[in-house]
Amino acid sequence: MSKVIAVISGKGGVGKTTTTANVGLGIAMNRRQCVVVDFDIGQRNLDMILGLENRVVYDMVQVMDGEAKLEQALIRSKAHSNLHFLPASQTKDKSVLDSEKIRQLLDDLRQRFEYVILDAPAGIESGFEHTIEFADEAIIVVNPEVSSIRDSDRAIGILDSKSRKVLEGGEVKKHLIINRIDPEMVERGEMLSHTDILEILSIDLLGMVPEDRNVIDASNQGHPIILDEQSEAGQAYRRIAKRLCGEQTPLVVPQVRKKGLVGKLKGLFG
Amino acid sequence: MFPWFNKKKKSASVAKDRLKIAIMSDRTGHELPFMEDLKRDIIEVIKKYKEVSNIEIRRVSHEETDAIAIEVELEEH
Repeated sequence: MSKVIAVISGKGGVGKTTTTANVGLGIAMNRRQCVVVDFDIGQRNLDMILGLENRVVYDMVQVMDGEAKLEQALIRSKAHSNLHFLPASQTKDKSVLDSEKIRQLLDDLRQRFEYVILDAPAGIESGFEHTIEFADEAIIVVNPEVSSIRDSDRAIGILDSKSRKVLEGGEVKKHLIINRIDPEMVERGEMLSHTDILEILSIDLLGMVPEDRNVIDASNQGHPIILDEQSEAGQAYRRIAKRLCGEQTPLVVPQVRKKGLVGKLKGLFG
Repeated sequence: MFPWFNKKKKSASVAKDRLKIAIMSDRTGHELPFMEDLKRDIIEVIKKYKEVSNIEIRRVSHEETDAIAIEVELEEH
């Protein structure tokens, strides 16, 4: 049974595309056939995060319009052979999206892959609605910060009222990822904790990703952070991917790293 | 370590309280299903006395109260 999972956030800049890339790669690493699809028409970015920008020939709009075959547009990831990528169109805008064509594309992808992960555009406009329209499940990415939490609630509201599954009397399963947690700020009471956020949004927690400078470095190089076994964010994404593949792994709350004297001094001065 | 700094309410709990209220109000929305019908009925009633040129109905929800505000603009003579 294959499933279509939309990665949404409401607000932009919270790490939606980074999450899509890492979760997709993580699922592939768990021996599942997975495809990540960039639904952010006109603002293609997933290709950069995956390090595949030079391999793009055809995009998903051309596939939907019959100008290219799906096999021609799919790009196999360099990092793992189980992961494929379908790029967004960079030249067109989101008005080209059409429900019937999207349904057809997703049906074709379901035939080939167990996991079809859709990277939604930011906002709650038509591009977003098209991404959630045929989703079986959704991953909601938030930062522990007021505007992100509030916007995500609006996005969840639309998911719960406009997706086909809901309109047909079903339910879209929702998973929450809290990204960019700064454990020191949480400890000082200066940042919303995961329990605060769960109380406000009341959806199931899939994982917590600590703020990690290595993420930028990973994006710079087009090597998703999950490939870095040492990094805390990478480890968090590994646990998230395992959970999505049905494995029971404990939820790990990001902790303040105990610093030695040198670290403490560094913290004071830098 | 610095107890005099802790007298101020922690900002995370301020954020939590503010978010709860904002999200509750976002979820309620500003529309009620019967607003269009209500508009028509009010015009009918007031018409017995005076012509109505415009009518506006808004939902006003706060933490514990839920109300509607009705503004009726009368036809000038």
